[in-house]
Amino acid sequence: MSELVRLTDITKVYQGGVTGALNGVSLTVEEGEFTAVMGPSGSGKSTLLNLIAGLDRPSSGTVTVAGTDLASLGEGGLARFRRDRIGFVFQFFHLLPNLTALENVLIPAQLKRHESAEAPGRKLLAQLGIQELADRYPARLSGGQHQRVAIARALINQPTLLLADEPTGALDTRSGEQVMDLLVELHRQGQTILLVTHDAKLATRHAPRVVSMMDGRIVDDARLETAERGAAEVIRVRGEETRR
Amino acid sequence: MTAILVKALADLRRRRIQAAVIFLTVLLAIGTGTMALTLISQTRDPYQAAFEAQKGAHLQVLFHGSTDAQLLATTPTTIGASASGGPYPATSLQFKYAGQTFNMDTFGRDDPGGDVEVLKITSGRWAEANDEIVLTRSFSELYKVSIGDRIKVVSVPTAPTLTVVGEVVDIDEGSADLSSQHAWVLKAAVPALTAPDLSFYLMDYRFPTDPTSSQLQGYVDRLRASLPPGSISGSVNYLLIRSVFNITNQILTSVLGAFSVFALAATVATVATLVTGIVISAYREIGIMKAVGFTPAGVVAVFALQVLIPALAACLVGIPIGTLLSQPLLANSSHALGLAYVPSFSIPLDLLVLAAGLLVVAVAATLPALRAGLLKPITAITNATAPRGTSGRRLRRLAARLRLPRPIVLGIGDAFARPLRAILTLVTVLLGVATVVVAVGLPRSFELINNSETGAGNYQVVVNRSNAFPDAEVMRILNSQPETARVIALDGENIAVPGIADPVNTRVFRGDSSKLAYKIIAGRWFSAPGEVLAPAGFLRDTHLKIGDSFGGSLFGQTLQLRVVGEVYDISNLGHELFTDYATLPTNIPNSTPGTYWVTLRPGSDVSAYIQRVAAAQPDLIDVHANDTSIIGPVKIIDSVLLAIAAVLVLIGIGGVFNTLLLNTRERLHDTATLKAVGMSPRQIMVMVAASAALLALVAGVMAIPLGIYLHHVLNDVVSTSTGNDTPPSVYGVFNPFELILIPLLGVVVAMLAALIPGRWAARTNVVEVLHSE
Repeated sequence: MSELVRLTDITKVYQGGVTGALNGVSLTVEEGEFTAVMGPSGSGKSTLLNLIAGLDRPSSGTVTVAGTDLASLGEGGLARFRRDRIGFVFQFFHLLPNLTALENVLIPAQLKRHESAEAPGRKLLAQLGIQELADRYPARLSGGQHQRVAIARALINQPTLLLADEPTGALDTRSGEQVMDLLVELHRQGQTILLVTHDAKLATRHAPRVVSMMDGRIVDDARLETAERGAAEVIRVRGEETRR
Repeated sequence: MTAILVKALADLRRRRIQAAVIFLTVLLAIGTGTMALTLISQTRDPYQAAFEAQKGAHLQVLFHGSTDAQLLATTPTTIGASASGGPYPATSLQFKYAGQTFNMDTFGRDDPGGDVEVLKITSGRWAEANDEIVLTRSFSELYKVSIGDRIKVVSVPTAPTLTVVGEVVDIDEGSADLSSQHAWVLKAAVPALTAPDLSFYLMDYRFPTDPTSSQLQGYVDRLRASLPPGSISGSVNYLLIRSVFNITNQILTSVLGAFSVFALAATVATVATLVTGIVISAYREIGIMKAVGFTPAGVVAVFALQVLIPALAACLVGIPIGTLLSQPLLANSSHALGLAYVPSFSIPLDLLVLAAGLLVVAVAATLPALRAGLLKPITAITNATAPRGTSGRRLRRLAARLRLPRPIVLGIGDAFARPLRAILTLVTVLLGVATVVVAVGLPRSFELINNSETGAGNYQVVVNRSNAFPDAEVMRILNSQPETARVIALDGENIAVPGIADPVNTRVFRGDSSKLAYKIIAGRWFSAPGEVLAPAGFLRDTHLKIGDSFGGSLFGQTLQLRVVGEVYDISNLGHELFTDYATLPTNIPNSTPGTYWVTLRPGSDVSAYIQRVAAAQPDLIDVHANDTSIIGPVKIIDSVLLAIAAVLVLIGIGGVFNTLLLNTRERLHDTATLKAVGMSPRQIMVMVAASAALLALVAGVMAIPLGIYLHHVLNDVVSTSTGNDTPPSVYGVFNPFELILIPLLGVVVAMLAALIPGRWAARTNVVEVLHSE
């Protein structure tokens, strides 16, 4: 496997912030990996994801994705990078309310001027089990259906890296499980996935690699042997223990 | 109340751009409106003031020189005049000054004062010797004649020289560039200046109260009945003079008034859009306001005040500016009447404009703000913004079917996502583009009419002869020039027509006058003796139509005339006749033409021709190039129209900018999402610009027929004001390509207006927006 993401000594300080959201984070992600970034609220995991997606820029350090140093890209370049390389699944789905499910899915392809994306879009919806919802507007979809559409939208351009920021955070347990099953299936098919969650159980059950964060630092990076171990027995948030 | 004011002021500080948009649009609308209303309310005053101050004559009648002066002196009693002036002996004088020859009716008068028709001396003094002459100030200013200058009379063989000793203002005359002028000498000087058959008398009559048009006609009829046939050669009344004097301001105020209403309507639409947008985007804030104790009325007041405060500031600036801008036009009116210019405005009127302006803005702001007042607190707090409708989806789908790039498809959908906002924006753009259409078309229509009236492109040289130089000799000189292609000779007569109080000025043409490019509205040019053309004003007042015959009277002789066409002519507000020289009886005194319009062969050197012809008889003929320039009042109207179009375009741009700003802010979340899935800043700008372009295109397409209709209406207003119908060719001044180009230019301007909101949208911070939920 080759290296897909490399973060080197990343710090991120927001304007007016006394402490950094990220403090000297370094991380690599290999192609084909399913990595869960776990940590409590405010630990910096979403900031990390935003930097990898090129949605935000670090205060210092370098972010390299698929061999591209994101610092070298302007706003337009970053947009093209996201469109071509990244699929992003948000906690609150962020579907465009005035577009149908299918139209939402097709947006990234159409921005690339892939006019023939409708068939792949419908196919994706079918794979995600929501093909009959293609012409529905988001207002008429359930939370789980919303997130499936969002996942389809993230996958339409066959991204190198799928980023998921608390994808089950706004869903009920059953819908959340279904979404995670989908992500696992995608990973089995070879999709590199970086998942951010605060749910340790979810992270350890589905992701072979779990990176734990606390106060803007990576405090643990565990590669798990199986996916069926309980969070409490396997994951030790060492930084937290050290503090105690 | 304090809380409402504090909140409104705080919101105003936060929404500085919207406040600036309101300030500018209200400023432009109120400024234009104030200018129009000031002109409307003040323009009658200068003429009325001058008419009273100078004891203006209600009726002036010209009598043939053969009429008994003693008999004329009794005519005031005959018609019940309360004051009179004259009979003044008069003649038509021709004189040369600075190489030019002028024709001027000159009156013998020993005193500029009296009980009626006082002449106001503005420079120099009244004539005291037989070799002195007094001219009008307007003439002196136009031709740069100074007190002490000498003029050479060429209409009598003795060719005496007169010294200009005074300049006066005569309220019966328009400006020298538009109408003929008078001159005055001592009574005793008149006989020596009078050529055979060129003597006449003038009587001025004033009545106890302002007579009506029909009363004036009755007076002229009584005069005619009491004197030998053919004694009256002409007459003019104060109603016509007042109308002629006010015509420019009347047209100007019509144009200004109509477009002020447009500007106000566009402002109302902008204000309503703005308040609707603010309410929609501030749902949560409204909920919080209600939760902390704001009453529904208080909430409405907060939103209304945010608009009223900048609107008040705009009124306080706009009303003085509008008043100031109207002053040059008012000063021009005062100057023409010899009145000292005193800044003319009405404080009650200004206060009325202030109150009306604020009321209109308050209504426009309050109606959409009521939505905020009526909102349930829990609904408002739960929803950050108003629920979005489904409008715009069909358009988006249609655009998608056309396989347009996705940012354009999305932008098109956004344009009509809020239908009310879209409609209000369309109104502002529609009015702006329609005004541009009018501002493009009307000057061209004026130019067409000007060309027909001045013979532009038809004849290049104008020759006037002295009465001492025979017509046949002039024709011989002109026809001997190789460049001469056509000569049309012109005579003027006053024909008495039943139903018209004043004898009607008649243009009598000799030569192939059908080649003259007068605008014929209906019928045809005359082709036989007795056939006449007349403008609508004459036909209306005489109840004549094409094909009708009527009797006229000239020097006591009856003429049998037949109307064969309706012609456009603004002279005497449409009271003019056009006929051939053959129509005149042979024994009419002094009826040989004195003016010659010469058409040169293509490629002729006009200057060389003029020099050569003038050299043939320098003292007795005046030769000059035909002046086809647009007259001053038309230039003023064109300029004002252009300024108004600019005002409405600016308001339209403000409307588009405002809508895009609201749309952009409202769709911040969607824009962030689109950025997150890969929409580039450029694509976002394209999306916003597409939204603006569609609004501008729809409004522009709708504005073209509206603009053309308004162009029709304004042409008709101008024509009616001048006693005419509009010639059909004057309507068709638009090139089909420019009717396509104007909306397209509107689209370009709207897209430029979209640049700023587009840039803001493109700079949306995805992380901040998407994670602020």
